[in-house]
Amino acid sequence: MFIIKNPGIETLVEDWPGRLGYLGKGMSTAGGMDNLALRFANLLVGNPLGEACLEVAGGYLEGEFGVDTVISITGTDISPSINGQPVPMWKSCRVQKGDILKLSHFGEYGFRAYIGFAGGIDVPLYLGSKSTCLFGSYGGFDGRKLKQGDVLALGGAPQNLTSLEGRGLKDGVMPVYEREWHLRAIPGPNASPEYITEKGMDYLFSQPLRIQHSSNRSAYRLEEIKSGFFAREDGGVGGSHPSNIVDHAYAMPGALNICGNTPVLLTADGPTLGGYMCALSVIKADMWKIGQGTPSRDYIRFVSCTREEALQARLEQKKILTEDSLS
Amino acid sequence: MATTVNAHMPGLVARVLVNEGDQVTQGQTVVVINCMKNELQVVSANDGKVQNVLVKEWDEVEIGSPLIVLE
Repeated sequence: MFIIKNPGIETLVEDWPGRLGYLGKGMSTAGGMDNLALRFANLLVGNPLGEACLEVAGGYLEGEFGVDTVISITGTDISPSINGQPVPMWKSCRVQKGDILKLSHFGEYGFRAYIGFAGGIDVPLYLGSKSTCLFGSYGGFDGRKLKQGDVLALGGAPQNLTSLEGRGLKDGVMPVYEREWHLRAIPGPNASPEYITEKGMDYLFSQPLRIQHSSNRSAYRLEEIKSGFFAREDGGVGGSHPSNIVDHAYAMPGALNICGNTPVLLTADGPTLGGYMCALSVIKADMWKIGQGTPSRDYIRFVSCTREEALQARLEQKKILTEDSLS
Repeated sequence: MATTVNAHMPGLVARVLVNEGDQVTQGQTVVVINCMKNELQVVSANDGKVQNVLVKEWDEVEIGSPLIVLE
């Protein structure tokens, strides 16, 4: 078990790919915001790649281990320590019953860290997933973020812990973190010429857009668009604002809503339908980057991409998530 | 010696709960920051008298930004 002494800003149980098959009932997938760091955390401790980890947004988590096990910490450099001694990120390490893990705040690059436990986290599956949907209050640990005093049950760790400790990644495998995150995206379904001017689409695909402070697991809100963006005066039967359309399903996660004048990138816990236009869809292979976007600091830049490039990117990402990447 | 109370997260200042001249105690909430649509309390690590209030509502702050100066 792992006992929460300080939950920090927002610590959640998340797995990958989350809760699939319920978009039609209005339930988003949830799952790790940075699915790449989550899967590497699992790889390092010998778990199935989609096993549940702790997702730490912002930081300041402190907890005590109730068992001997092996852990890994990936994502933003959050200056982890065990019993006051620094431990490396992106490398598995042995911990013993009674050890205290303490995390500082997010680093110079990135916003979320992931803690993988050998054997995983033992919370019940809800509709096929251990992920917390924070805004639906279901899944994970009682459908909420962790709080002080929570006791998290861990899965049964393998007998031979020694074989799992000290595992790192080969050079060049670790994802590169930036302050300006380049997200490849496919235009549409609501793009030019019907909904957005060419100038408007050029703007979306050429400007770094600052991430607003209010961004969270539902959506990343970006800085407002400029005049000349919309191709229509109003939304017709969809509503008075040109961003309004008749309600439709959103391509979740990864659709870019234009909500009034604010581009809103819909993420893990976001809505599955609504009445705002969707100007582009971020490709699955790049969705992890959004999870590392720091509110009030980082920027997102959309890069136009084809469907073929999107599929190729997904295949390439899959290739590095194997034991061959371990050093 | 003056000390500062700094932002522990980035975001917008939602409320400032102290004024210049107020006496604050360790653990007292002095500012509330809005980040990720959550209100996060910034608490003072020390006892002291408020010498300066450096922020106001709606100011955007970074992690580590000084908010309050204590004597």
